[in-house]
Amino acid sequence: MASNKTKRPMLKYLSDSHIEQIHEGSLDILENTGIKVELEEGLEALDKAGAKVDHQTGRAKIPSELVARSLETLPRKFAYAARNPQKDCLMEPGGQLYSRTAGSPDFIIDIDTDEWRAVTVADVLEIYTVMDACDGISILTAAFAQEWPKLGRDILMLREMFDHTDKHIHLRTDTVETFPHMLEMAAIVAGGKEPLRERPIVSLLEGHVSPLRYIDVMVNALLLCGEYGIPLEVCCMPMAGSTGPVTMAGNLQLLNAEFLSGVVISQSAHPGAPLVYAPRPMLMDLRTGFSLAGSIDGEMAAVAGVQMAHFYNVPVSVHGQWSDSVLDDGQSILEHAYTALMGAFSGANILVGAGSLQETLSISLAQLVMDDEINKICFRALEGFAVDKERLGVDAIARVGPGGNFLADPHTVQFVRGERFTPELFYRGSVEGWVEGGRKTFRERAKDKARTILKEHKPNRLPEDIAKALDEYVSYAFESLEK
Amino acid sequence: MSNILEKMQEDLYNGRAEEVEAAAQKALDKGTPVQEILNEGLIAGMDVVGRDFRAGDLFIPEVLIAAKAMHAGLEVLRPLLAESGVPAQAKVVVGTVAGDLHDIGKNLVAMMLQGAGFEIVDLGTDVSPEKFVETVRAEGAELLGMSALLTTTMPSMKSTVEALTEAGLRDEVKVIIGGAPVTASFAEQIGADAYAADAAAAVDTARSLVA
Ligand code: B1M
Repeated sequence: MASNKTKRPMLKYLSDSHIEQIHEGSLDILENTGIKVELEEGLEALDKAGAKVDHQTGRAKIPSELVARSLETLPRKFAYAARNPQKDCLMEPGGQLYSRTAGSPDFIIDIDTDEWRAVTVADVLEIYTVMDACDGISILTAAFAQEWPKLGRDILMLREMFDHTDKHIHLRTDTVETFPHMLEMAAIVAGGKEPLRERPIVSLLEGHVSPLRYIDVMVNALLLCGEYGIPLEVCCMPMAGSTGPVTMAGNLQLLNAEFLSGVVISQSAHPGAPLVYAPRPMLMDLRTGFSLAGSIDGEMAAVAGVQMAHFYNVPVSVHGQWSDSVLDDGQSILEHAYTALMGAFSGANILVGAGSLQETLSISLAQLVMDDEINKICFRALEGFAVDKERLGVDAIARVGPGGNFLADPHTVQFVRGERFTPELFYRGSVEGWVEGGRKTFRERAKDKARTILKEHKPNRLPEDIAKALDEYVSYAFESLEK
Repeated sequence: MSNILEKMQEDLYNGRAEEVEAAAQKALDKGTPVQEILNEGLIAGMDVVGRDFRAGDLFIPEVLIAAKAMHAGLEVLRPLLAESGVPAQAKVVVGTVAGDLHDIGKNLVAMMLQGAGFEIVDLGTDVSPEKFVETVRAEGAELLGMSALLTTTMPSMKSTVEALTEAGLRDEVKVIIGGAPVTASFAEQIGADAYAADAAAAVDTARSLVA
């Protein structure tokens, strides 16, 4: 029987033949230009799998047949599990959309003074608390304090994160030395390495250097995540005009070739390792050289990137809520609204960026709260509405007749709830009411909500024994880093 | 100004390297003084490029192509410039600091400086304070330009400035720093001479520091 639900809106730019051309071009790049791999273990895995590897130069040329084989072993469905299983996020192509915050901001817009300043330890705890409280946000991404030591700040970040949320945690790591420690910490919280593999409560995003260069950190991430069964978002961010072709199509094709090479390295070493396609097509601002995040062009390319992910039948994260603005202002709200809606309509699994400004260089608590609202608008837009005999209500219209009204009709009473989304931060009243309420702007209302969360929200802390075990492990990790 | 130089300016503006190179040779063959070709052909041409870039009419890649064309012309003049005692271009050592692999901004700054007539010694990425100091000394550089994109690598800028002081080179060289998380107050705090927010500002700052 036909469903009474409206269709899921799907935004598409590429035709089937465009997709085919980009795929073929990507294979050509991998087979003939190849990639540079800067970690011997990665080269070995590629060599064994059948790539043409030059161990002297680190150059690996990847035959199409190997790409096809690697794509076959990619898992189609897996979870971004959470410490609280009710908050698990299921990744499968075309599945539900979840929101995750953007990674590692350095600066924060001070909620009281609007000053753009370094992120402190106190800020990090507040950032996590607000992220945890926002129910439109399902996945939390790392934030670092600038006061933390250079080596090991990712370990301290994770310790705090585990204690401030029971949602899925998306990691950032700085070094090859610290990442194994972070995985051990995750194993402690998950109850062991096997339970962690079954229910990965953490995931990672890592990137290569465009064009086509796989640095040690990235190869290491591909290998270690495979070993632990941790989902890895393969971040592909060639920048049109500088590290990628200036054309939309050319930059996307390079990005796609780079994703495929990540797939090959990963699946050659650990067949079945869970990967998420993370297309982040960037653009160089042609007048200043800066990288652009909130541009309409970049979001269009990202949507096309999601289409490539669907072509390969893999889960995909897309940037939405990305902006170039230096303040949580009209520009950032506008950029976040259109990038988020387009990202949501692309059919991606994860919408990335809540709270971020200047791409992801800075963060704002007010923006986080506003983006929580934008998320809910996106979810609502995806959900659509029902079309059926009852809701169409021919009877009701007959009952009311020309010139009547529906205010207290039984049909109205029956459906008065559940047909609509009610935003929390929007003011929709009269001018008088607004003046009486203190003439608060949207931004001020967002700040108020963030302050209330900070006052009232109590994150689900770690059980005491696990917290203790983690602390012991952190001390041990720092000792071994010092050696 | 001769027709050749006028045409040279136009070719340079449009990034036609071969034409600029040929024009430089032709002008020399006709007996035009080398200083005149440099000033009225190449430098004047780049000045127009710089003006239009600042006005927002030219894009960075177009500026870089024009700079390439200028360098093609300059190569023809170089042997004669040395002979006629025209002072060499100021040398700038550039690099991304230790632990940092972000090089797009650094490359851009280097290319724009080169376009503005500076001689560039590019040390690439992940450059240690020792390497910077060694190169500044060996090259007799007048300027040192450092780029950092990570807050974790910014402290290396401070270490480099300190290492320059220790090596007794701090008064010989001016230090410019930049990169997304770097600020003017950070530059002041670590004792650098200047901060530049973008590549165009880096060129202006470099010019004013060697003037
Ligand atoms: C000498 O005088 C001067 C004067 C002016 C100077 C100057 C020197 N240098 C620059 N300028 C100035 O002129 C230029 C404009 O004309 C400007 O240069 P910029 O360099 O700022 O601008 C460039 C022209 C364009 N901009 C860029 O190239 C940087 C863009 C962003 C998106 C970025 C990119 C592209 C990359 N990244 Co990275 N990356 C980000 C960036 C986010 C952002 N919004 O900045 C940033 C910088 N990265 C970050 C991170 C965390 C990382 N990145 C990493 C890797 C990468 C890529 C390899 C994927 C790629 C770099 C490719 C390359 N070849 O450089 C990793 C580090 C690798 C390493 N060891 O360095 C990694 C650690 C991520 C990871 N876990 O893998 C963040 C830093 C946060 C922090 N806590 O410090 C980041 C802010 C994004 C984020 N929030 O996550 C000015 O600053």
